Parts: sequence; structure tokens; C-alpha cells
Amino acid sequence: MEIYPTPPKWAETLIARLAPDHLAEEIKGDLYEMFLYDAKRLKASSARRRYSWRVIGFLAKAFFWKRPTYQIHHMTGSYFKMAKRSLLANKGTTAINVLGLVIGIASALAIISIVRFELSFDTFHTGYKNIYRMVRVSGDDLSEFRTGIPYAIPPAMKDISSIRKMTKLEYLGGTNVDILSADGKFERTFVEEGGVVTVEPEFFDVFDFADSPIKWISGDPKTSLSEPSSLVITSAIAKKYFGEANPIGQTLRFHKAFDFKITGVIEDFPSNTDFPFRLLVSYSSMPLIFKERMSDWVSVNDGHSIYVVLQDGVKVKDVEDQMAKLHAANVGKDLSTYRHYLLQPLSEVHFDPSFGTFSKRTITHNTIFALELIALCLLVVGCINYVNLSTAQSTLRSKEIGMRKIMGSSQKNLVIQVLAETLIIVLIAAMAALALVALSMPSLTSMLGLQVKINFFDPFLWITLSTIIATMTICAGLYPAMLISRFNPITAIKNQFNTGRIVGVSLRKFLVVIQFTATQVLAVATFIVVAQMEFFKNVDMGFDRNAVVVSIRLLNSDPSLLNSFETELRRLPFVENVAKSFTLPSGVDRNRSSRNIGKPDANDVQDYQNYEYSAVDEHFLDLYGIKLIAGRNLTPADSSRNILVNETLMKNLGYNHPPDIVGAELKIGGGEMVHVVGVINDYYGNSLKERVDNIALDASIDRFRQVSVRLDLASGQRMADALTKLERQWKLIYPEHAFQFRFMDDNIAMFYEQELKYSRLFQIFSAMFVLIGCLGLYGLITFIANKKGKEIAVRKTLGASVGNIIMMFSREYVALIAVSFALAVPIARYGVNEWLTNFKNHVEVQWWLFAVPGVMVLALALAVVSMKSFNAAMANPVDKLRTE
Amino acid sequence: MAGRIYLGELEELMLLMVALIGANAYGVSITQELEAQTGRVITISAAHAALHRLEEKGFVKSSMGGASTERGGRRKRLFQLTAYGRQALQELRNVRNAIWAQLPGI
Repeated sequence: MEIYPTPPKWAETLIARLAPDHLAEEIKGDLYEMFLYDAKRLKASSARRRYSWRVIGFLAKAFFWKRPTYQIHHMTGSYFKMAKRSLLANKGTTAINVLGLVIGIASALAIISIVRFELSFDTFHTGYKNIYRMVRVSGDDLSEFRTGIPYAIPPAMKDISSIRKMTKLEYLGGTNVDILSADGKFERTFVEEGGVVTVEPEFFDVFDFADSPIKWISGDPKTSLSEPSSLVITSAIAKKYFGEANPIGQTLRFHKAFDFKITGVIEDFPSNTDFPFRLLVSYSSMPLIFKERMSDWVSVNDGHSIYVVLQDGVKVKDVEDQMAKLHAANVGKDLSTYRHYLLQPLSEVHFDPSFGTFSKRTITHNTIFALELIALCLLVVGCINYVNLSTAQSTLRSKEIGMRKIMGSSQKNLVIQVLAETLIIVLIAAMAALALVALSMPSLTSMLGLQVKINFFDPFLWITLSTIIATMTICAGLYPAMLISRFNPITAIKNQFNTGRIVGVSLRKFLVVIQFTATQVLAVATFIVVAQMEFFKNVDMGFDRNAVVVSIRLLNSDPSLLNSFETELRRLPFVENVAKSFTLPSGVDRNRSSRNIGKPDANDVQDYQNYEYSAVDEHFLDLYGIKLIAGRNLTPADSSRNILVNETLMKNLGYNHPPDIVGAELKIGGGEMVHVVGVINDYYGNSLKERVDNIALDASIDRFRQVSVRLDLASGQRMADALTKLERQWKLIYPEHAFQFRFMDDNIAMFYEQELKYSRLFQIFSAMFVLIGCLGLYGLITFIANKKGKEIAVRKTLGASVGNIIMMFSREYVALIAVSFALAVPIARYGVNEWLTNFKNHVEVQWWLFAVPGVMVLALALAVVSMKSFNAAMANPVDKLRTE
Repeated sequence: MAGRIYLGELEELMLLMVALIGANAYGVSITQELEAQTGRVITISAAHAALHRLEEKGFVKSSMGGASTERGGRRKRLFQLTAYGRQALQELRNVRNAIWAQLPGI
């Protein structure tokens, strides 16, 4: 036998790989034939060369690359056509599937947008990972978390070389703004609830908003904020105060006391920053406001914050050590061991509720995680519905599948067929979900107080959506597809087979259990969250919170004006009582001052108690229903020398019985002595998330800043009328002051705003879970009732009652839901306990808090099951049995 | 004349070769026959491309057959003139003849 040379391997492989299937054989054949012909005549090497050239010749031909596409097109079209037919044939199931997926996808999209917004806070500053906020942690148990830094500390920190940049700012919160005319006369007044801050020019150096830098409409960061008494406003404020007029050079008076000249206008700050500033005063004005306190190492204002940028590669701990050394060198030993200054990364600021932010919004990583988990579970639950319904339905399709297999459909074809159906459903659902989210997002975000928008041009949205579509198609479609394609055609045609089984338990039951476990965990959690909110709303705070009390903020404590205002108020028929005080017993945005108090022999910091001191008049206790436990009430004759203390302060000072402390002399931090005239019951000055503070009250008239008015509205009298009358009196006495008032109950409710918002979100999403779960059950039961139609008919003819038949259907699902409840309780219990530890005062976790939502879900599921099985049971057996 | 016939010069030659060879017309044999008859050498890939075009236009039809060891056991694609192809050749010839007849003897 002759030994022939072989053609070059690479050229052979090239042809084998690239040639279209239907041409490969003849091309390879012809090439080989010509090669052999060459090989007999020529040298092996030139035969091989010619072979290679011919191969390359083929590669250069257009026909070689043309693929007969008609075949694939044909099948793709057919997949979708078949999918459309089968989906339309089962409209009910399709609708349930789509609905379940719409809810899942819409919720997931909403949650992803919210989470993405929360995670974006202040991440746009250049090198934000290297920016730190200086914080103050103090107390023997390090339980007090504040951001205020004494004024003297930052200038001294200039010597710490690891600090590359530093910027000081004091957030002043809200203020009263008067607009002055050119000759310095009062023109009009505005009340700002927040956004007033003093900043250094360096602020815009540290926080550069690099994504979309804040534009300076007039002025510039270097000069506009350098001079004392200069002010930069945002364009929103400029528009509000001056309309289209030029604000530059105008003078604004804050709080009736401090004048600032407008030197710049900037764009509004973005919504995802924790620096929501609108009126920026130059930091160099600080000495005008705070005077000698600027050199104080000890006393603090909580709004005075320091941000630093560290040198690259510097250890935070080292800088903190240097700060501690600096602190220890300038204050007494007691204070330096009691108070610690630390650095918190800017990337943690938005997620740490213990220090808070200027935007008053924080969200813990736990909450974000919980939200993400909910989104994931909603998607999973939607998929489970799909898997359940389509595997159940596959029994109906067994004949179709068997037929397809006999006609030569491969397993691959069938998998693609089922996946195509899933893809269509998921696509429809995704588009509907997108529309739903776009429509509902505005109401959702206004409920949450967020500014999240669905932007259809955001590539992230489409990436997320396609990822969800792809994942859901695979997750929901793959198992049914594998299951269906694996049918043995013979048994399939004979309609005898079971759906998949997992260790003896039917897969569907297993999935129903998972679904309802998730539902019940959220139902229980939501129920407890709501119970906690109710607890906040109704618990006894130590004073009468149900009375209708309007509190009015004073800008001027001039006693004679105040007295005439009080007299005028008391003349109004609906005013039950009037009290003047430094601050309110509770609520947000309360003025608060604290000092130290101890027994006369106190010397060390440890001997003193930190307490909140307020000034009240003789009507205060009465108006708020605060009880006097021992001693007497304050009278106008009492000065700041005589005080009332609360029970907590009394106990902390070492007295056990209220009468014992009455008459006692106490020493205040500065050395001044005070005299205790009475003891009042404890009331919550803070939210119930915290404990009761030490409180002492005196009668210093010049410190009054609030007027509380208790209303007693006769039937038929409108609140709005009463308020108008109050305002009219106010304007008579204080013509230049804005009438700022709040209702007591609103003020207290604002403590729990954040919790309330998220509790509403939880309620919405647990409703979604229940809805998807019930939809799925409904679909399953409908299917089973149809399939068991004959069985029911036979049972009925043999004497089963409607009740028996409903029982037959329900029994299984009651058992399944009971199992999922048993699984849900420990999970929910763990989560709820974690959450409740955030609050000093919380509801007792009792069995009924779990039982009630559990029974509710069970009842709902049972209602769905029995409704459908009742229909089945009521059907006339003849209709079912007639056709055999 | 039933419509115009689009047939390139090489295509026409290839078509004639298919008709000439008859039963064993495939890529290699057609190339060899073309070279033998006209002295024209074309690459095998060009032959395949032309035969494809002819098949697309409906002048030839093909079937697989005739595996042999000298092809490494691979089958040939055997081409065969269709009725349309035969008619096309005939018509082209008629047109030419008619034109030749009108030429004053060269």
C-alpha cells in the first residue's frame, strides 16, 4: 500500500471548523482529491503548499461564509408561536404567573432604586474614602455619641501632619430670616426649618461634589466665604427671597440679631448628600456669634463638626492617638478619660444612626440588607409560583410533549420551547413592572421622604432589568423545562407520570412551604413593627400627651411683651391654659442645655451628674399633667436658685425617697449652689428609643423660649379658626416675628418618622408577599380542582358532602402553612429581637404577636382554597361524569 | 423568449462542462475538464463558487454521491443540468447563431 503525504494539519482544521455543515464534505473531499493528485506529481511540500492556498481561496469566497439561516429562523419563530398559543390556551394561569412576577419585579426594582439612592450618599466627592468626620464618644460606658467638637480643638490640630486638609463647619439648623431694606429696615420675614450652616472656603475643597460640581452663579468659593458676616445662598433660596431680583449685596438678619451680607449664589445641593445646606455663612463670622466660647476646650455645640482628609496611607488610629494627646494636654484628666475624639469615615456617616446626619436621615446596613433580602424573596416567591404552576400544568401538556417527541423533537428543542414561554411571560411581566414602578414611585418616595426617580435613560436600570429577566427566566423556566423535556413519550401519551419528587415530599409542597415561610416571616415582622409603632404612640411618657397643645416659638424673651401675650391668650375662650418655658417636655428640635450637678461636696467629674436644665413657669406642670411627687411647685418669685428635679436625677444623686431631697442644697458644675423645692415624676424628654434623662427645672424668666397653649375646643369650633386667632394675637404683640407653632402630638410623632416610614414600607411589601402567595395558591387549587373533577364527582355521588370535599382540599394546605409557620417563627423572632434592641423601651415579644399574623395568613390562604374548592364541590357531578 | 437569462461567461462555460461530463460532474472533474477543453485554469474554490451560483439560479441541481478512497472517504456533490439550464444554454446558442447569421461574413 502506498503511503501518501498528508495535507497540512492547520489548513484541514481550518476548513473543518469554518466550512458550513452542508458544504464541508464536498469541499474537504475535493481538496483531498486534488492534494493526492498533486502529491503523485509534485514534491510533498509543494503539494501541501498548494493545498493551503486552495484552502485560503475558499476562505476568500463569499459563498463559503454564507450560512443557510432559514432553518434557525424557522425554529425561533416556531418556538415563539407555540409559546404564544400555549400561553393563550391557559389564560388564567398565564395571568396569575404574570401578576406574581410583576409584583416581584416591580418591588425589586423599587427596592433596588431606593437602596442605590441610599448607597450613593456623598460618594461623589473626590477621595471620599479618605475623608473622615471627627466624632465625640463619651461616658463611662462610652454610650454617648455626638459630633460636636469644642471650638478650640480644630485650630490646635493644625500641627498634626497626617491631616492633609481640614474643614470646620457649624450646622445651625433652622433660623428666622428677616430681609432688610437698603436702609436697614425690616421688610419681610421667612422661617427656615434647616439648612443654615457656617462653613469655611475649604469646605468646597474637601467636599467637591466631583460628579456634578456645584456651580457658582455669582461669587466664588475663595473670596465669598472668607470675610466675616458674608453669606452664600442657594439659587432656590434666592428665588424664594428675592424672585428674579439680584440678591448680591442684600442684607439678611438671622434670629433678629445677626446681620449677613449676601456675597454669592450657588446651585442647589444634590438630594443625595448629608450636607443639605442652603444658607452658608462664612465661618469667620463665628466669633461674632459665639464670642469667648471660641477658645473653649470643653463646652460644645452639637452642630460644630470637623471633617478631615488624611494623607494617603496614614493609620486612623495614629491620628486618633495624636488627637487624644492634644486633648489630654489641654483639659483636666477627668474629662480626657471621660471624653474621646475619634474619626469616622465619611462612607459610614450615612449608615450610622448613633451620630446622626445634617439631613436627619440615616439608614443602617441592616435595614439595607433587610430591604435587599425582601427584594430577593419577592423575586424568588414569584419564581416559585411560576415553577409550581408550570410543573402542575405539565401534566396537562404531557400529550403535547409526547407527540412532539414522537415527531422527532429533541430534548434540546423542548427545553428551548419551555424557556421561550418563560421568557415571554417574564418579558411581559418586566415591562408591566417597569410601568408600575414608574407610576408608583412618586407616591412611594414622597411617603418615604426620598427623592428617588426612575430614569428611563439610566443604563443601570436596563442592566438591572435585563439581569432580572435573564435570571428569572433561567430560575423559573429551567426546572419545568428539564422536567417536561425528560418525559418518556410512551408514558406521556398515556398520561401516567408524576412531577418531580424531593425525598418523598412533592417538590410543589416543598416550594409552597418556602413561599409561605417567607410570607409569614415578613407578616410577623411587620405586625411586630406596627405593634412597636402603636406602643410609641400610646405609651405613657410621663406627661399628658393627648391634650391639644400648640407650642409657639419665641425669638424674644422680653418678660413684659411675653406677659401681655399671655394675658391676651388667656382671654380667648378656647384657651384652657398657657405655660411659658425654655423648652418643651418632649419632641424633636427641642432646645436643650445641659450642665453638671452634684452634692455640695462634689469635686471630680465622677461626682457630678450631667442633667438637662430648663426654665418653666408655675403653669407648666399643670398644663402638661406632670405630677409633683414631693415638695412644692415653682412660683414666679422663685429665681434660678430654686429647682425641681425629676425622680431619675434624684436617684442618681443618691436619694431614695422624694421627701428626703426636698430642701437639699446642691452644687452646680460652676460652683453655684441651688436649692431643691420639689420632685416631679419622670417623663421622656427624648424619644422612647432612649432612656429618661436627668432633668431639673428652675424659674428663670429670661430664659423662656416657648409658649405652650392648651386648647379646649368646644364642639363645632374648628382648629383652623383657633389657630388664626392665636396668630392674630401674636401679630399684635410681635409684628415682626413669624408665627411658628407645632402641635405637641406631631412633634412627638416626628421622633419616630424614620421608623414609621420604614414600617409603612414593610407593610406594603408584606402585603405583596401575601398577594403573591395567595395568587399561587389560587392557581394551584384551580388546577387541582379541574384535574380532580371526576374524583369529586364520584365522591359526591357516593355521598360526600360539600364540607367533606372542601376539607379534602384544605387539609393539605393547612398542614403546609402550619409547617411554614413553624419555620417562620424562629426566623422572625431572631430578626425582630435584633430590631427591638435599637429601642430602650419596646413591646414585650409575646406569643400572640406571632399567632395573630400567622392565623391571619392561614385564614387568608384558607379563604382562597375554600372559595375555589367550594366551586368545585358545588359542580353537578353529572357534568363531569357524562363524558368518559 | 421567456425572460432574459443572466449567465456570466465563466458560468456559461461551467454549465457547458456539466452538460459535457454528464454523470460524474463535480468540482474537481469540472475544473479538469475546463482546463482540458479551453486551457483555462481556475482554482477549485472559484469553481465551487460558480457552481453554487448556478445552483442558486436554478441552472443545475446537485446530489451527494460517489465516495472513494482517493477523497478520503468523502462523497462528491454531483451536478446535473436542469431543464431550465438546458433551455438557457439552448437559448444563448440560438441568440448567438442569429447574430452570427446577420454578420456579413468575417
